[in-house]
Amino acid sequence: MTDKKLDSKIPNGPIQEKWDNHKFQTKLINPANKRKYKVLVVGTGLAGASAAATLSELGYQVEAFCIQDSPRRAHSIAAQGGINAAKNYTNDGDSIWRLFYDTVKGGDYRAREANVYRLAQVSANIIDQCAAQGVPFARDYGGYLANRSFGGAQVSRTFYARGQTGQQLLLGAYSSLQKEASKGKINIHTRCELVDVVVVDGRARGIITRDIVTGEFKKFAADAVLLCTGGYGNVYYLSTNAMASNCSAAWRAYKKGAYFANPCFTQIHPTCIPVHGDHQSKLTLMSESLRNDGRVWVPKNKDDKRRPQDIPEEERDYYLERIYPSFGNLVPRDVASRNAKAQVDQGKGVGSTGVAVYLDFKDAIERDGRDAVEARYGNLFEMYQRITDDDPYIVPMRIYPAVHYTMGGLWVDYNLMTTIPGLFALGEANFSDHGANRLGASALMQGLADGYFVIPYTIGGFFAENRPDELDTIHPAFDEAMKSSRDIFEKLLAVRGTKPVDHFHRELGKIMWEYVGMGRSEEGLKKAIEVIPKLREEFWSDVKIPGDGTNVNVELEKAARVADFLELGELMARDALDRRESCGGHFREESQTPENEALRNDDDFCHVSAWEFKGVAASPEKHAEELNFEYVKLSQRSYK
Amino acid sequence: MSESNSMNLKLKIWRQLNSNAKGKMVDYQVSGVSPDMSFLEMLDVLNDQLITKGEDPVVFDHDCREGICGMCSLMINGQAHGPEERTTTCQLHMRKFKDGDTIIVEPWRAKAFPVLKDLMVDRSAFDDIIQAGGFISVNTGNAPDANAIPISKENADFAMDAAACIGCGACVASCKNASAMLFVSAKVSQFSLLPQGEVESKERAVNMVNKMDSLGFGNCTNEAECEASCPKGISISNIARMNREYTSGAVTGK
Amino acid sequence: MSSTLAVTLKSSVVKKQLVGVTGLLLCGFLVTHLAGNFLLLVGPEAFNKYGHALTSNPLIYVAEAGLLALFLGHMGMAIRVTLQNKSARPEGYYMKTRTGRGSTFASSSMPYTGIILLAFVIFHLQGIKFGEVYNVTYDGVVMRDLYRLTFEKFSTLPYVGFYVLSMFAMAVHLSHGFWSAFQSVGFFHTRYTPALRKSAIAFALVVGGGFSFLPIYCFLTGAN
Repeated sequence: MTDKKLDSKIPNGPIQEKWDNHKFQTKLINPANKRKYKVLVVGTGLAGASAAATLSELGYQVEAFCIQDSPRRAHSIAAQGGINAAKNYTNDGDSIWRLFYDTVKGGDYRAREANVYRLAQVSANIIDQCAAQGVPFARDYGGYLANRSFGGAQVSRTFYARGQTGQQLLLGAYSSLQKEASKGKINIHTRCELVDVVVVDGRARGIITRDIVTGEFKKFAADAVLLCTGGYGNVYYLSTNAMASNCSAAWRAYKKGAYFANPCFTQIHPTCIPVHGDHQSKLTLMSESLRNDGRVWVPKNKDDKRRPQDIPEEERDYYLERIYPSFGNLVPRDVASRNAKAQVDQGKGVGSTGVAVYLDFKDAIERDGRDAVEARYGNLFEMYQRITDDDPYIVPMRIYPAVHYTMGGLWVDYNLMTTIPGLFALGEANFSDHGANRLGASALMQGLADGYFVIPYTIGGFFAENRPDELDTIHPAFDEAMKSSRDIFEKLLAVRGTKPVDHFHRELGKIMWEYVGMGRSEEGLKKAIEVIPKLREEFWSDVKIPGDGTNVNVELEKAARVADFLELGELMARDALDRRESCGGHFREESQTPENEALRNDDDFCHVSAWEFKGVAASPEKHAEELNFEYVKLSQRSYK
Repeated sequence: MSESNSMNLKLKIWRQLNSNAKGKMVDYQVSGVSPDMSFLEMLDVLNDQLITKGEDPVVFDHDCREGICGMCSLMINGQAHGPEERTTTCQLHMRKFKDGDTIIVEPWRAKAFPVLKDLMVDRSAFDDIIQAGGFISVNTGNAPDANAIPISKENADFAMDAAACIGCGACVASCKNASAMLFVSAKVSQFSLLPQGEVESKERAVNMVNKMDSLGFGNCTNEAECEASCPKGISISNIARMNREYTSGAVTGK
Repeated sequence: MSSTLAVTLKSSVVKKQLVGVTGLLLCGFLVTHLAGNFLLLVGPEAFNKYGHALTSNPLIYVAEAGLLALFLGHMGMAIRVTLQNKSARPEGYYMKTRTGRGSTFASSSMPYTGIILLAFVIFHLQGIKFGEVYNVTYDGVVMRDLYRLTFEKFSTLPYVGFYVLSMFAMAVHLSHGFWSAFQSVGFFHTRYTPALRKSAIAFALVVGGGFSFLPIYCFLTGAN
């Protein structure tokens, strides 16, 4: 049963009317009063920039914070494929209901129905808003918006701007943010990192930040704090996330009392360029669309060291086609990823590292001609060649799965508020609407839905109940938070050990990938829970950070983030261990069908696991929010 | 693809403690560089070696490492983002260099881009320019249906070409006049090509150009080094369009 | 709009447009000057009469004042732009190389070829316009014998050499300046601009070649 502490505040009524009813019933703040409220928006990606701009337009005082040198650089910018919206411009049978249904099913029935329905409802408004902002979406010859199809859906509902949809949407939100800043209504703090959330009388009332250039700590008081700080994929060290993407804001909030939901739900994308060496810093995603024409294989003989083009047909194992004759190379992301790992685990991996499989376009080139393949994938082939120096027209691509997105995050109610009143989480930072697996082109949709169309309404409801008062940073809670913030950095600098921060991050990444990666077992997870604290201990006694805290000190910044990852990693393993079922991105070896497919356990785990911090050394406490599926029927997926 | 052919390199890198300090070029040796590393990964290796020796690592801006965020910079052997065409520093690979090479690494240089530390510069001037008008004045909720205003595919494509700008500042760095014309014109162009942005197009051009001028960027002399160094290949045709918008705006404006 | 006239005239866009427009007008002057020069090939009488017709027309003062204004405007703006450009990068690069895909020798040497041209113009005016006065009479009208002066000036190799080198500098200047002016005023077209860039080079060759041809011609034929 749902824990009493977790009130999801889902409005009553039929699902189609919940959001409209809720908006109507939410109390309003009159325009003259809005300017008395101050909101701190941390992070300027799609969710943060859109929220900051919209709240400022409404009249609230807004302060926006980002760690990069400009709000425009947030990692939303790297999203390639597109953004879903139930516009049905293509007349192929799309509807709000279908987008809702696809998202719940794609999330393997671990998302909150009411939230997903609202997401589908506002999706169409997002496209309108972005077009009005001057986002140059792709158009057809008549001048109308073009759509493409994407995984997990049978309709074409994905809007795109070449292969840079995330960039264009972010620049749209960024331009709105700057529009408000030009009127003096938003202060933007760049190269500025959140260190702590200040809680006064159980309510979030401000933050402590650290200036990355000067090392200066600052206090900010407000009536509400929005965390729009993205996901935590970098806990794996190597991921498709940006180098500075981190979990620290969410993690500090967690340590101040916000619950962390479903931390083990991570999405691993099957087609990434594989790791090539120890010094690799980052993994690059290659669009999933490559699997439309590429055939995945490994050599049948595990000691086959021949060049791939010299290995004859009969000695190749097209394992996806063999195991899944009906879906073949087009099985969903999680299935494709897991099978690649299985081949590598059997010693059949290819390339100099042995941790990759081939994605071969030979047959497509023979069938359709090189020009046709180039027209479809030219830019991806070029990118691949730039990074690997191999020509994929001649040599098969080497690919391997990589961590890409985290569905888990801070627990929020229907109003996007965490368990700390006044602290909201938007976009990838919350545990979101994607359940256990996110569909392609839905992350952009959720980030912008939260920022443009959800928080502007729900924050008003919170403010109506919480009138502005005279509280400012003189309150002792700010001094306390300031002191503990400084302490973290001083403690890190005082270690004066022997190993660089990256050493520990890499080690953590290896543990996470090995035990909390694509396939998770009770034994492995227990092992992770045992070794992560040891690594953490070693980190705190042996990390080496040159310089001091009064200047740009990249190592110090990284160390503070890695310190949080070292705690988060353990929570992820605990959550994964607790969830004795396979669903979406979470695959427990013990819970699979006879055909090795993910097997859910709806009787015991049809819930959100929200974890409460009880101290670094202590076990966190789990609170469950029961999920009720009234509109989409629970069923098992099969791709044979 | 093998790791065995590792390279040794000599590096000359600009070191500067902070924005007030005087900087200088410092020589470094870096060993064990794989040709498959990106340029930034090579710097990671150098930093690893520096930290182990107890020295201050070289500070440089970077983030996504996939060529889209625009955070990375670096003047490499006298060229913005290095020698490869249409490539950001993070996507430049060491196989473009030879074992034993000496590589010169400097920060972007412009009055409007002061050095913060080592290779890290302050590009907030770009944000200031965008604030001066790099937006369409539409509030959330105002928008009509996205298909209510058809836009010719040709214009949408040209707008996208201009919108591809990642704001890295290579145009300023490579321009011998430290001019920001390519950056500013890309934004002016993108919006003036779309009916939604066309409404305030002239005013936008005037405000953005005046802001750019006041920040201390140089003037354009139509040499196209910006276009040649731009990792996204933004065309100087945008500058011509901006010139047009500016003059008509400045002449017809109140 | 927030732009006053003063701001507009000082803006980077308009300054460059002024350089471009004055440059294009000066190109017009070059064409007429060159056409007149070719009367030298017709004979002394045609050449001298043309010179006389130009200088005896009272409008010449207006024209010369206009020309001087164009020249000073072009130069003054260019100097201002160049100085501002220098100050936009107070600390230079340790190493700066051209990509080879953008700037050209011509584009990067505009201030230098400009200075050469300034020196040339002063020298040219001093030698020809304000040079020795020889008179000749046609149909009872006394006029300057510019034909004789021209042949006399171009009888020495250093003099001819200086002219030819200066004209080379002018050709280089024009090969960038001509199309660049169009870009500055806002003309760019994916199809026409490449053609315009080619025609800038052709224009530079014709004008530079034309102006170099006459000194060489005089030197070679005058020696006989």
